[in-house]
Amino acid sequence: MAEPALETTVQFFLQLASPLGEPLIHFLWKEKGANMKENVASTVVFILLLFLNTNLLNGQSPPGKPEIFKCRSPEKETFTCWWKPGADGGLPTNYTLTYHKEGETFTHECPDYKTGGPNSCYFNKKHTSIWTIYIITVNATNQMGSSSSDPRYVDVTYIVEPDPPVNLTLELKQPEDRKPYLWIKWFPPTLVDVRSGWLTLQYEIRLKPEKAAEWETHFAGQQTQFKILSLYPGQKYLVQVHCKPDHGFWSEWSPESSIPIPNDFSMTDATVWIFVAVLSAVICLIMVWVVALKGYSMVTCILPPVPGPKIKGFDTHLLEVSPEKGKSEELLSALGCQDFPPTSDCEDLLVEFLEVDDSGDQQLLAAHSKEHPGQGVKPMHSDPDSDSGRGSCDSPSLLSEKCDEPRANPSKFHTPEGLEKAEKPETNVTQPQGPQSTSVEGKIPSLHASGSQSSTWPLLQPPGLHYSRSSYHSVADVCKLGLGTAGAASTLLDKTDTCALKPSQTIETGGEGKAAERGESESFRFKTDQDAARLLPQDKTPLTSAKPLEYVEIHKVSKDGALALLPKQNEHSGRAEKTSTPETSKEYSKVSRVMESNILVLVQNRRAQNLAPFEEPAKEAPPSLPQNPAAVDLASFPAAPSSCRLQLGGLDYLHPTGFMHPFQ
Amino acid sequence: MDNKGSSQKAGSLLLLLLLVSNLLLCKSVASLPICPSGAVNCQVSLRDLFDRAVILSHYIHNLSSEMFNEFDKRYAQGRGFITKAINSCHTSSLSTPEDKEQAQQVHHEVLLSMILGVLRSWNDPLYHLVTEVRGMQEAPESILSRAIEIEEQNKRLLEGMEKIVGQVHPGVKENEVYSVWSGLPSLQMADEDTRLFAFYNLLHCLRRDSHKIDSYLKLLKCRIIYDSNC
Repeated sequence: MAEPALETTVQFFLQLASPLGEPLIHFLWKEKGANMKENVASTVVFILLLFLNTNLLNGQSPPGKPEIFKCRSPEKETFTCWWKPGADGGLPTNYTLTYHKEGETFTHECPDYKTGGPNSCYFNKKHTSIWTIYIITVNATNQMGSSSSDPRYVDVTYIVEPDPPVNLTLELKQPEDRKPYLWIKWFPPTLVDVRSGWLTLQYEIRLKPEKAAEWETHFAGQQTQFKILSLYPGQKYLVQVHCKPDHGFWSEWSPESSIPIPNDFSMTDATVWIFVAVLSAVICLIMVWVVALKGYSMVTCILPPVPGPKIKGFDTHLLEVSPEKGKSEELLSALGCQDFPPTSDCEDLLVEFLEVDDSGDQQLLAAHSKEHPGQGVKPMHSDPDSDSGRGSCDSPSLLSEKCDEPRANPSKFHTPEGLEKAEKPETNVTQPQGPQSTSVEGKIPSLHASGSQSSTWPLLQPPGLHYSRSSYHSVADVCKLGLGTAGAASTLLDKTDTCALKPSQTIETGGEGKAAERGESESFRFKTDQDAARLLPQDKTPLTSAKPLEYVEIHKVSKDGALALLPKQNEHSGRAEKTSTPETSKEYSKVSRVMESNILVLVQNRRAQNLAPFEEPAKEAPPSLPQNPAAVDLASFPAAPSSCRLQLGGLDYLHPTGFMHPFQ
Repeated sequence: MDNKGSSQKAGSLLLLLLLVSNLLLCKSVASLPICPSGAVNCQVSLRDLFDRAVILSHYIHNLSSEMFNEFDKRYAQGRGFITKAINSCHTSSLSTPEDKEQAQQVHHEVLLSMILGVLRSWNDPLYHLVTEVRGMQEAPESILSRAIEIEEQNKRLLEGMEKIVGQVHPGVKENEVYSVWSGLPSLQMADEDTRLFAFYNLLHCLRRDSHKIDSYLKLLKCRIIYDSNC
């Protein structure tokens, strides 16, 4: 059955297998009997397979297919191709490279297998044609067979890749007048013919500090040297260079060259710093200059000048009392100290500064400028200050002026006690005219005959009339009373008054107080103006409203700021004789109280010498005085000589409504 | 009559002299078409001409190479065109040096004429290349723009070369030898494969010839201007 098939198979394998196995098999086949044929057959098969495997394990096979993986020309004159061998089949394999060129028919073999290394073929100049396609094939041959690679089409034109440049040199150059730099030089690769122009090379260098991670690359063009300007001192630099032909591939990087940079390799440019310093200095100077120029204006913007006190004394305008309004207190606000009966020294002031004028012009006559040269004249005309210094009785200048009044003419201002009550009916007891428009300064006549250094503020007339122009009834009264208070600038003179004081006229009878008048007349022009008349009620005693009309003229303002009030003296009291006693001028220095809110009760100054005579007129005051309640209301005050004190808004304050002083 | 005769003689002699001088001047002017002011300026001018020519040739080859690579990548992959593009350039009939030694052995005048021959041979193919690429379906803009640019620059290079030739060896009326291109029908073939191969072949040959011209010009420049010491 299977025996013949088995036998056939065994024979077949025997033929395939080793010849030695055949007789063995035959022998075994014959020896064994029919019974043992199956066993023998399987054994034989086994053995045959064993032989087969053994043969195969010995490997011989045709070589695998090689592959040309790279062809390269370093200078466009020669080229080399390298192949990768395939499996060699266990047998020594012979590789051959064959090629043929475009336009030719016959095949060439590689001229040089050595120069390029193993598995390479080097084509020298003779065998190299440019602009020609080479069809190159590698054949691998061994005992078992051979194999060929795929043909590779190579045109030398497009496989140019030169060697790296050679002789890379680094040099640190530090010229004296220029910045230091690193000078890098190299040469083109030896094989490349650049001189004839066959190849044109372009170079690129790269450098980095030794420890840095990335290279800094610079393109150098066709030049064979390069300068590096920005280097970090104290580090070691590595430099490399490579090149590229005009239509080829970049070469490999040259081997690294290193150079240490010394620590004193100054990279900073001193000129830059000098320039920066100069520029900063210039800028600073410019700023300083601008500040200096504008500094003053800036400072004035920031710190506006503090207006100086312009209080020079009396504000003549304040002294001006309007008849309608009864600003008599303005006069008081002038705050002169008062010797109410004008003393001789006050007389000058009075003379100078008071001009009783109805027209409303402020015309203070500075007749006695000689005596009081600076006093009333200047201030009265000049009141240039826009400050509210007027009427400030604290002005030292004023005070000094006023109080320094000489008692040059003590005689003139005699008899404060000579002042008579301005009881004339026609004498309007207008409000004692406070110093209104006339500036206080200088208008304060120091009537104090006693020469108290005080300036008097004659009560001026009603508003609208200047101090200077006010006619003082009280003066008239003074005249009549013999007060002769020149300082009663506020007093109006009645024209009809015998004491009509004219500027030129002096008070004739000094003894009767006309001295005061005289003084007044000297200093003032009195116009009898009944309307403007102002009576200074002089009331020594604190009078109630029973005696509303008793006024006391503000004689002067003393240096201390005290109001020297001229007590209103009864004419009849015959105080004329007292005019000669300057010291009898009453000075009312203090307001003892205010009565009925519109009457100031003044306290006579202790310096007053003659009290007695003053008292009388005080009492007599009321009836004779034409009352002008609105106007005159000067509180009655005890005539008391007061020290010359200027008091503003302060201690001694004369009456309120009558004066219509601005403070109300 | 003696005077008259002598004066006539003098006059004619003078006239003759003027004529001869004019002719000489004219000739000398004609012999220096580019550099009227003298040899030194001519040399400088020749350098500028060569520099410009080299720049143009370099540029043309770059464009050609890019164009070929683009076409190869886009249309010729796997078609094995390279195997067929063997010995298929129309300018191969022009015998040109095949390596550096041969090129260096060729006289520069001959080399110049060879350059001119190749340049002239490409006038026609470039023109048709532009036309045909424009007519292609989905004409690739990069290839078309480069083809147009190459055609333009080729004309300029030709003009420059003619000027150089006029300076290097003036007065020689060269034979305008060039190869005739007959590949137009192939470019217009209906069969896409054939047509594409025709384009491939044309671009392949253009790349090669532009490289050739560039190499020759650089050789000549270094040889003539820098005396082989570039």
